[in-house]
Amino acid sequence: MTTPRFDDLIHPSTRLSIVSLLAAADWVEFGYLRDQLSLSDSALSKQLSTLEEAGYVAVDRTVRRRVRARLTRNGHAAFQGHVAALRVIVSTADAASAGQAGNRPSD
Amino acid sequence: MDELTAEQARAALDTVERSRRRVIDEIDVPPWYWISVAAGWIVLGVIAELDHPLVTTLATLAFGAAHSMVAPRVINGRHRSRRVSVRADVAGSHLAAVVLAGLVVLVGVTIAAALALNADGARHPAAEAAVLVAIIIVLGGPLLLATARRRAVRTGAAS
Repeated sequence: MTTPRFDDLIHPSTRLSIVSLLAAADWVEFGYLRDQLSLSDSALSKQLSTLEEAGYVAVDRTVRRRVRARLTRNGHAAFQGHVAALRVIVSTADAASAGQAGNRPSD
Repeated sequence: MDELTAEQARAALDTVERSRRRVIDEIDVPPWYWISVAAGWIVLGVIAELDHPLVTTLATLAFGAAHSMVAPRVINGRHRSRRVSVRADVAGSHLAAVVLAGLVVLVGVTIAAALALNADGARHPAAEAAVLVAIIIVLGGPLLLATARRRAVRTGAAS
């Protein structure tokens, strides 16, 4: 069971997209991330550096000098906690609106 | 967290799901694999027509050996390109077993089709049966992977 934990570092849209892509993969090439997210090299490098500094992402260089990014164990835990927190927000709102609908007097 | 509205949370979850689906789109077996297996099947069928059991046995063993060297890397569906390695739990750990089981079933289909064609008086029953199964491989392989991708989407949506 994942503990819901909202993560301010992951939440911004671009970083959430990057982390979500990495969460479904063992590793992803820099070029794939750049193409999928329509980012410039420098913009993607900046986002990856931020995630790397937080310990969420590891960036490796292959023997063919290709750059690969992968989510670390901490990154996976933070991502799963963040998604769980988002689901809690949605389910709480859904439960509240369902309760309001239930309390509304019928015609 | 308290400041985030349900709509914003939904939008963020949509972003997560979209990204996951992009990776799921990468689940595939390279087309050359299906074409190679189909070509090998036809070659074995033609060799079987030569009616030299030793040659047929050696060719079948060679085909099996070549397949066992290549297949483990590609039939798990996780390495369509060299740009992404899809996680095993996303691709489905059973995918390789399903592909292999499908090939085993097709061996039976080939034998059954060859026997039926032979009974029907076909001149080259083994080769014709092999061509039939080769077509099934080339058309059915990609369909199988499309099913695996749909299943991966459903699995993610349910979790």
